[in-house]
Amino acid sequence: MGLTPAFAVFGVFFALPMAYLLVVTFWRIRRYRLTPDFTFANYQNVYGDYLHALVFTIVIAFVIACITTLLAFAIAYLIRFRSGLFGQVILLSALATLFGGYLVKIYAWKAMLGAQGSVNLLLITLGLIDQPIEWLLYSPTAVILTLVHFMLPFALLPILAGLRGISEAPLEAARDLGAGPWRITKDIVLPQCRTSLFAAFTLSFLIPAGDYVTPRLVGGTETFMVGNFIENLFIGRMNAPMGAALAFSTLLACALVLLFVNWLLKRVFTPKWGH
Amino acid sequence: MPGRGNLLWTGFGVLALVFLLSPLALVVFFSFAENQNATFPAGGATLHWYGVLFDDPDFWKALGNSAIVTLTVGLVSMVVGTAAAMTLARTRPALANALIGVITLPIMLPPLVLALALATGYSSLGLPLGLGTVIPSHVVFTQPFVILVVHAQMASFNMAVVDSARDLGAGPWTIFRTVILPIIRPTLIGATLMAMAVSLDDFIITYFTIGGGMTLPTMIWGMLRKALDPSINALGALVLVATVGTSLIALRLTRYRG
Repeated sequence: MGLTPAFAVFGVFFALPMAYLLVVTFWRIRRYRLTPDFTFANYQNVYGDYLHALVFTIVIAFVIACITTLLAFAIAYLIRFRSGLFGQVILLSALATLFGGYLVKIYAWKAMLGAQGSVNLLLITLGLIDQPIEWLLYSPTAVILTLVHFMLPFALLPILAGLRGISEAPLEAARDLGAGPWRITKDIVLPQCRTSLFAAFTLSFLIPAGDYVTPRLVGGTETFMVGNFIENLFIGRMNAPMGAALAFSTLLACALVLLFVNWLLKRVFTPKWGH
Repeated sequence: MPGRGNLLWTGFGVLALVFLLSPLALVVFFSFAENQNATFPAGGATLHWYGVLFDDPDFWKALGNSAIVTLTVGLVSMVVGTAAAMTLARTRPALANALIGVITLPIMLPPLVLALALATGYSSLGLPLGLGTVIPSHVVFTQPFVILVVHAQMASFNMAVVDSARDLGAGPWTIFRTVILPIIRPTLIGATLMAMAVSLDDFIITYFTIGGGMTLPTMIWGMLRKALDPSINALGALVLVATVGTSLIALRLTRYRG
């Protein structure tokens, strides 16, 4: 069977370690050693000590996912319906930078957002501000901007695939019947690419929710996200059970948010032909 | 369409392009600039930072490790991913899509969670960390790219030629080698290059599974945590050119457009 090697890799290096990590959330640390147990204490501690960080992270990731999905939809719309060659240039740029430069992108933003950075310089040159904006770097804004930039190519792909799947016939019919671009987008395009919008939202929500490098490098002291606490629990405090419990609590919270978003998208974008 | 609307869309497209590319362009630009703070005015052009980087023995160690990991991961992902994609192409679509959904899970979750799961697992088993633990940890999130791209190509593959070959008495391996492979070779190479770009660029999983060693991204991380080290722009630019260049060749070969 051709699937055997791939699923063997998946089983040994994803499913098993993840299952083990889940088991570890019920264990304890005794004398600096991981000790099997069956306790909910780690989850209680997460609820007691890290609820604030968890909510903050979910809010930031939600904002990032909303902005990324909206921008990605607009760019995909431009590529699919508006410009021919120019759209291809944008698509190629997004695809070429998709796989490369995670760390490089983060520190590029770190350099750009500083008081002496190019963003401030640009705003001053354009006459929009007189003094450099000091709070651009080391703020939630910096984290949001950096992660929107990183996630945008990933969000673009599923939405573009969704838009390509929409056939011309209903669009032309709607246009012939006098519907404007807004009406067509709202009643035909968006409902038909709902699942791709959700896929884009999921990716640009989950990855930022678990990121610790971006808040560490551009977030400053006031933007500690769950990822930072998880990393610190594992590495700094050598408390794998707590860190694992925090990681799975984050995944669970994310899953609940995603279920809600999926329900909301279904409600808002039901296909509306026939009445 | 009215001209004003098109103008607005063009303006939006230009802004999107600037937003996507300018951070990366600035890193490459400042890697050749004299100003060591990477701010404007940039000063004259110089290759000084590349000189500093090439004199650093750590760079050559990191480059060697990255090369070993990237090439091995690429090769393994190609073989394992293609074998899976070939079977999936003959599976009924609903089941194939479900299986693809499962096997792409490692790229959907935050890398930190998988990195810690792997690190905790390796440490419980008492496995020594090193390139031997990094490589399979990479394959689990690079093989989905090969599977996705090759499977997408097989969807438009004309199965009639396979049937003819079978009717003429060819076995499965002969069919793959003489009929399928020549047609899908560009896609296969392209998909492998994508997997290599992802592996070459990975920081989080590598950092938690390598132990004491170093690859190019973990070297960047080390530089970021030290005080100002201007050769970081040179190193960043090199990693960027390598991954973006690999991706561009991959896109040309596969004609993959999302």
